[in-house]
Amino acid sequence: MAKNKAHKKQSFFEWCRGYTGQKYIITVLFLLVPLALLITFTFVPAANMFVYSFQSRDQFGINPEWVGFDNYKTVFTDSDYLSTFKNSLYYLFGSFIQLGLALIIAEILCSKIKFKNFYKATVFFPWMMNGVAVALIFRSFFMKGDGITNTDGALNSIITFFGGNAVSWLSDPKIVNFCLVFASIWRYIGFDIVMFIGAIQSINPDIYEAAELDGANAWQRFWYIIFPGIKPVIGLQMILAIKGAMSVFEIPYVITNGQFGTTTFVIKTIETAFGYKKVGLASAMAVVLLIIIIIVTIVQKLLFNEEADNASMKSEKLFKKKKELI
Amino acid sequence: MKTKKIMSFALASLMSAAFFSGCGNTTDNSAETTTASAGDTTTAAETTTAGDTATLDGNGATIKVLTHRTDRLADGGDGSLEEMTKAFEEKYNCKVEYQGFTDYETDVSTMLSTNDYGDVLMIPNTVKLVDLANFFEPLGTYEEMDAKYKWANYKMYDNKVYGVSHGGTASGILYNKKIWSDAGITELPKTPDEFIADLKLIKEKNPDTIPYYTEYADASWTLVQWQSLVVSASGDPNYQNRLLENKEDLFVDGDGYWETYELMFKLFSTPEVLETDHSTTQWEASKAALGEGKIATIVLGSWAISQFQQAAGDNAADVGYMPVPITAKDGKQYAQTSTDYNLGVNKNSKNIELAKAYVTWFADESGFAAKEGMIPPLKNAALPSNLEAFSDCVLFSETVAPDELTGKFNEIDLDSGVGTWNGDSENFKIKLAEAAFAGKGEAEMKKIFEEANAKWAASRDKILADYYASQQ
Repeated sequence: MAKNKAHKKQSFFEWCRGYTGQKYIITVLFLLVPLALLITFTFVPAANMFVYSFQSRDQFGINPEWVGFDNYKTVFTDSDYLSTFKNSLYYLFGSFIQLGLALIIAEILCSKIKFKNFYKATVFFPWMMNGVAVALIFRSFFMKGDGITNTDGALNSIITFFGGNAVSWLSDPKIVNFCLVFASIWRYIGFDIVMFIGAIQSINPDIYEAAELDGANAWQRFWYIIFPGIKPVIGLQMILAIKGAMSVFEIPYVITNGQFGTTTFVIKTIETAFGYKKVGLASAMAVVLLIIIIIVTIVQKLLFNEEADNASMKSEKLFKKKKELI
Repeated sequence: MKTKKIMSFALASLMSAAFFSGCGNTTDNSAETTTASAGDTTTAAETTTAGDTATLDGNGATIKVLTHRTDRLADGGDGSLEEMTKAFEEKYNCKVEYQGFTDYETDVSTMLSTNDYGDVLMIPNTVKLVDLANFFEPLGTYEEMDAKYKWANYKMYDNKVYGVSHGGTASGILYNKKIWSDAGITELPKTPDEFIADLKLIKEKNPDTIPYYTEYADASWTLVQWQSLVVSASGDPNYQNRLLENKEDLFVDGDGYWETYELMFKLFSTPEVLETDHSTTQWEASKAALGEGKIATIVLGSWAISQFQQAAGDNAADVGYMPVPITAKDGKQYAQTSTDYNLGVNKNSKNIELAKAYVTWFADESGFAAKEGMIPPLKNAALPSNLEAFSDCVLFSETVAPDELTGKFNEIDLDSGVGTWNGDSENFKIKLAEAAFAGKGEAEMKKIFEEANAKWAASRDKILADYYASQQ
């Protein structure tokens, strides 16, 4: 910059042709497209949503009325709305199982086994599939046949093959949520596994070597080296799981359409907006969900940073200790 | 013919009001007036008024029609709609372009927020009656339209009619005639108990048939079909207005809502006559299954008849339609008729006159409704053959709500969250069905009714506060 100031007579045109100018122009041009898309399709609608949440309006938005915080009051006082969060508990519970399972699979995939990459691709594949396709697959998977209009799905076929009785998996309010959580785990576990594999592989191999020399067994190796090393990633995945559990949508919407007690907050929001034409109220619900997720994210950031510092310090200390010992 | 004259007069006066745009600006009668120049409005107006043969010349203009009947379009269907439209294109020297939507209501409701939603479209039911004028061109006054068409009051506000029916339906129940008669049932049921007893009889005689198919996987709209039985069950054309005027509860033992949903509850509490897995029913497959006799009965509007007949192929003649098996208080069996979608004209259209001509042609001349087995919109047209079982019933259509109550029923319905026409996951219909499936008894049913009544009453008293005050 100092150089530029020295050449006071440099015109704007020349500046544009110079290195700095070119750098800025290209940066701006490249940013223009994604920013325009981001603003048009994310920020503007989101800003509108905030405005709508203070109005009473239908989906056409003719003569909207300003109602202040009435919509928010309804969301928090009418038990019909917040109560739909209770189904999120199933998914939250499921996500802990999912994380545990993912950790075990990741650990296995990091050990010396054959066809490692094939397995990695296989477990990751469901995550890349379209959510609606996954939902449709599981709908036929859990199907119970009556022999007249439809036949048993895969699960009931296996059960009846071994002499059991077919179960109406998706029509029994007591088990349907577990089935949906199962589908959800199947779909999202691949992402967790890949994240964990990445984290495990980033641990310095010297530490393993040192541990081996010390005669650590597999469990000790996991508990004292791998777990502290990937703790930040576990924290991140856990927060993502909480967010996912709160905003779960596709799987219950396509498989059961929210019936048999599987409705969720997002399904309720859609029904409020497009079934009951209360777009103002639905916007308020969306804002409430957004705020909850922002809070969870902030918590995650705080924990993540802290843990990341702790973890790196710990492993460094550990490493130093081992080195000293050697 | 009086109405036709009035129509053409209205058309002519609109023309002379110099409402011209695009290609629809020439209205000379090519058969008689060869000297009339294209822009000569007076001649055009006079000749149009002159005779019934007067036609509008579209001058090769194109109008776009939005439709939900994708099964009748060349793209994805059998193309019979385009085939039928050739007569219109010839008559008015224009082109008609169809755009089909499989999820019509949602997609077109979104399009309505722009100005570009075709020239002619089925008026989505998401548009409130008070808002009709914001989107659609008035087609005539209620008196004019009512003289000619059935259900003229359906898309009306402030005495102006914005939509003409594209075909009507009667409320009833779809069934397989052969299976029912094979079970030895000679007379169709008139009461809920008879209906359920007949279904049990069918299961007994023919265990390979599902006597009643719930279509529950698509409950968000298939369960809503039960709502179409409500007014028939009440036997009162003024039923829904009466509920508001007399401040009655929605669910009252012995009246429309209660009787209909009690029938549904009792039926769904009888697992032996239903399919085994309610959450994996298949809508498309069920169409053929009913024709084949694998399914005996489904509650659906009469719009479904033609679709099921088509899927049934050789067995099409077995697909029948029966009246609501509920006898009203006066001992008679009633059937309400109502219109499916109504055709309206986009008020932003560049070819408003041509679009209006299309609507008139579609209702009067196309013969679409009769071909589809729907009740034709013209007042003097005969009932389609598939509704023969209704000959013993009293047919009626709902009366118009008085001006001060226009749209109020709907408003209360949505505001209260009762959603008589909704199938959301917490709707009373879903709750009833799931309580019935779980084998909970009638106490649960009454509890659900009471809940809905309470929500309804609270919302009604709020929205109609002024109305009730003015009545005293």
